[in-house]
Amino acid sequence: MTESQVGRPVSRVDGVAKVTGAARYAADAEVRGVTHAVLVMSTVARGRVTAVDTAGASAAPGVLGVFTHQNLARLALPSPAVAFLKRFLPVQDDLIRHAGQPVAIVVADTLERAQQASGLVGVSYRAEPPRVVLADDMGEAYIPPQTNDGANDYVRGDVAAGLAAAHAVAETTYTTPMQHHNALEPSVTVAAWDGDRLTVHESTQGISNTQNALMQAFGLARENVRVLSPYLGGGFGAKGPVWPHTVLTAAVARQVGRPVKLVLTRAQAYTSNGHRAETHQVLRVGAARDGRLTAIQHTVTQQVSRTEDALLNSSEPTRILYACPNVRSTQQAVRLDLPMGSFVRSPETATSHALESTLDELSYTLGLDPVELRVRNWSATNQESGERHGSSYLRECYERGAERFGWSRRDPRPGSMRDRDGLIGWGMATAAHTAGGRPGSSATVTIGVDGTARIRSGTQDLGTGTYTVMRQLGAEVLGLRLRGVRFDLGDSAFPAAFASAASATVPSVGAGVVRAATAARDRVIALAVADPDSPLHGAAPDQVSVGDGDLFLTERPSRRVGYRQVMRRHGRLIEVTSEAVFAPMGYSVGATFVEVHVDPVLGRVQVRRMVGVFDCGRVLNHRTARSQAIGGAIWAIGFTLSEHTLVDPNLGRIVTPNLSGYLVPVNADVPDIDVSFIDKPDPSSPALGARGFGETPMTGVTAAIGNAVYHATGHRIRDLPITQDKIIAALS
Amino acid sequence: MDAFAYTRADQPERAVRLAADPRARYIAGGTDLLNLMKDGVQRHDHLIDISALPLADVRESGGRIRLGALSRMSDVAVHQAVRRRLPVLSQALLAGASPQVRNMASLGGNLLQRTRCWYFRDPTMPCNRREPGSGCPALDGLNRWHAIVGGSDHCIAVHPSDLAVALTALDATVRTLSAEGPREIPMAGFYLPPGDTPHLETALRQGELITGIDVPVTELAAGSTYLKVRDRATFEFAVVSVAALVRLRGEEVREARLAFGGIAPRPWRSEAAEQALIGRPLNAATIEAAGAALVRDARPRAHNAFKVPLVQRALSDILGQFGRNR
Repeated sequence: MTESQVGRPVSRVDGVAKVTGAARYAADAEVRGVTHAVLVMSTVARGRVTAVDTAGASAAPGVLGVFTHQNLARLALPSPAVAFLKRFLPVQDDLIRHAGQPVAIVVADTLERAQQASGLVGVSYRAEPPRVVLADDMGEAYIPPQTNDGANDYVRGDVAAGLAAAHAVAETTYTTPMQHHNALEPSVTVAAWDGDRLTVHESTQGISNTQNALMQAFGLARENVRVLSPYLGGGFGAKGPVWPHTVLTAAVARQVGRPVKLVLTRAQAYTSNGHRAETHQVLRVGAARDGRLTAIQHTVTQQVSRTEDALLNSSEPTRILYACPNVRSTQQAVRLDLPMGSFVRSPETATSHALESTLDELSYTLGLDPVELRVRNWSATNQESGERHGSSYLRECYERGAERFGWSRRDPRPGSMRDRDGLIGWGMATAAHTAGGRPGSSATVTIGVDGTARIRSGTQDLGTGTYTVMRQLGAEVLGLRLRGVRFDLGDSAFPAAFASAASATVPSVGAGVVRAATAARDRVIALAVADPDSPLHGAAPDQVSVGDGDLFLTERPSRRVGYRQVMRRHGRLIEVTSEAVFAPMGYSVGATFVEVHVDPVLGRVQVRRMVGVFDCGRVLNHRTARSQAIGGAIWAIGFTLSEHTLVDPNLGRIVTPNLSGYLVPVNADVPDIDVSFIDKPDPSSPALGARGFGETPMTGVTAAIGNAVYHATGHRIRDLPITQDKIIAALS
Repeated sequence: MDAFAYTRADQPERAVRLAADPRARYIAGGTDLLNLMKDGVQRHDHLIDISALPLADVRESGGRIRLGALSRMSDVAVHQAVRRRLPVLSQALLAGASPQVRNMASLGGNLLQRTRCWYFRDPTMPCNRREPGSGCPALDGLNRWHAIVGGSDHCIAVHPSDLAVALTALDATVRTLSAEGPREIPMAGFYLPPGDTPHLETALRQGELITGIDVPVTELAAGSTYLKVRDRATFEFAVVSVAALVRLRGEEVREARLAFGGIAPRPWRSEAAEQALIGRPLNAATIEAAGAALVRDARPRAHNAFKVPLVQRALSDILGQFGRNR
């Protein structure tokens, strides 16, 4: 029996390198003669720079250059098509579009000297009062032109008629705050020029986009820009787009004639990498007496900047998830003097939260169990496209999740369950996210004369396990053992791949690896059956199977030959590069069940127990998949209970740009999380039955927590985060 | 961070001599000072490392527990005598920071940590405490974490130390050394009210070194406890906290000392709340009266009014524990 290389909980193949420090991240790149840049950020949110005094900084020891809009070279603004979403480059003019926008760059021979000199740059402004409060400017909401976040005004059926026909209607308003990624590793650029050739070590989720953006900014040919990103310390969307700091670092490196390294500080990351924009959401959801949905009307209004229209808090689940004939989803924007919002892990979590919370409210109105309400509205079809999902075991997720959690023991009456010192609440919600429907990726498979394989693709590993699962996929298709396969990524010299984003790595890059490995394997089989000295000589290629490093007759496995022998006789390596093929749309789903404890005196909410059951097609690696699930759940705890970026309403500045003021969950906030998978292959998947999964597990969990808080207390806290002051106010 | 000189002092007297220079600053664990310097909130030309001074012992003598100023938070928290005789102190220490920080941070440094007010912590924002006369954005800005009592029109930042709250309730005394010699400062007078000089935070003079803290061992202190309410389970400063020392005879409160964190620019002793308890049975009505007395002069701002009921609830919760444990 051949050992399967996929599915097993293989440890991360890069794990040892990471924990021993052998892994070299972008900031660790050893670049001869590297110098250091420090950004000076605007301290006003709106206005103009009137003067920059650079004399002190320029004269400081070790300083190689101080750059402002007056002396930095003019740069071409890269296009949104290469994921350069920001519509202006800072340090090119005197206009301030938001606080924390770079206004000067200091380069020095050491980081410490650059930091010290940066404090000597004196910037004068003509400041104008900023507008930064979404609630104050809701009247300014507009529907922007569609970008890549789905239709901003989507209509299916007749919502008014659906609501009129409903037996029960839940009308709700939910609000979610600004939030930030807080990847452990801040964004990093190390830029080195050699004549017109630029090499950049970058912490990015998309080396191809970075390469393209730099080509555009500096007018360079592709072969003159190389981007390297072998490891990332998390990204969560912060490193998905290409941001100005990357271009600025390359620009100052060119001007000082030395390689330059820039590492954003935590505070700078709060205004340089995007954020999850604040939302205000209004929902009207109608259902028949039996719980079948008759209408969903969902209007989400979110902050955008003065310069971009990007809406990332898409109402995707409203449009796709539930069987409902009448749906209207409107996505509106309000311009404020803030940085642009961008991708933050599971951008749809905000809208999922409002939808799944409203369904919970509806379940009480109907007197119907919230699991049953969802089962009755399950659909095997993507409700927006009308296409059938490749597979959908969502009902099985509900069933298994309810069983593992003990849902049948729930007393549905709010406030009915308690323990010795507080209130207990049980809540649930659906997790769902698209995975795919994105550009394809290519990969090169090289089989050496020693019978081992090297696979290369210009993808990235966010920490999600790309190194590991791509190696597993390659080994599985080739029939090699894991140790016989190497997978390299993070170099723009490799075949181009789609960004590590949108849960698309498995369907995009994984499919590219599978295609290249399949073609390479077929080449080896062709050699084996053509060789008169081979035990497989004369066999039809389709009668040959592979496994454990061998090729063998499917019907007579004892007739076999090793890759090693075949390749040695061949004497030359085999190399195949796959074409990029658009990754099909997948839909990965699940069900989450949560128990909370609420202290009725102090209002403190603690998540006590979580169960998640997911259908992401075939599970490529139970260890990395489980990591995704618990990572999403943990962030959802923060999302629901503690995380919010606060902006001073008068100064227009973020006051919590650090891990002291912005509260991510600590271990003591996180209970044991029970994760399981349906683990059935999706026949439509181009990656051995697997779908993308990264964004699914965070959706649903926030609503499940909020729903559990309602069940515990009888009060809906519709404004996140659910801090104790809101609980106390509700209970008083 | 700017370049600075560094000297390691081996004797307290030498440290004090070096620190007579106003550009100098002591450093012990550095858990707060380094952040402040890296962020540009404080700039010092000269750091005097006092971590090797022989001031890290904890001993009992003459009805007091004497804590060396350089004792580490983690060591004091688990010290047998502290746990048995001053439970509120051990609890307050364990409620603070993280294990890593507690392993580095000294008691003296803990008392001198600066406020977490975000306007103070960002040197590019106005702040009267950091830069006298520059203004206080918290007054009309984001003040959810700010003071409801004891603030002024110049500053409503709260003091972040849990330890200081416990020591205030315990009536501890801070021992110091300066060029003028040793002196003792009672906790009640150690921190200054902000008034119109919020940049003056403590009674310490330039170069004055905290050498230790004396805590009286009393029957009252043995029945003491600490409650910290915060926005996540751990590694976070208090939204409100209570250090309570209560001695009961039967149902009647014989003695009580209450100090609060998270509600004032300094650890907040409420004698009004204590008087509402003493001599009365520890029942719901008494507890409510104590809570009302506590917040009688509260002056909440736009975003921190919730602290008024929350601190009363915290007081009620902690006093309820005394009732149950009787």
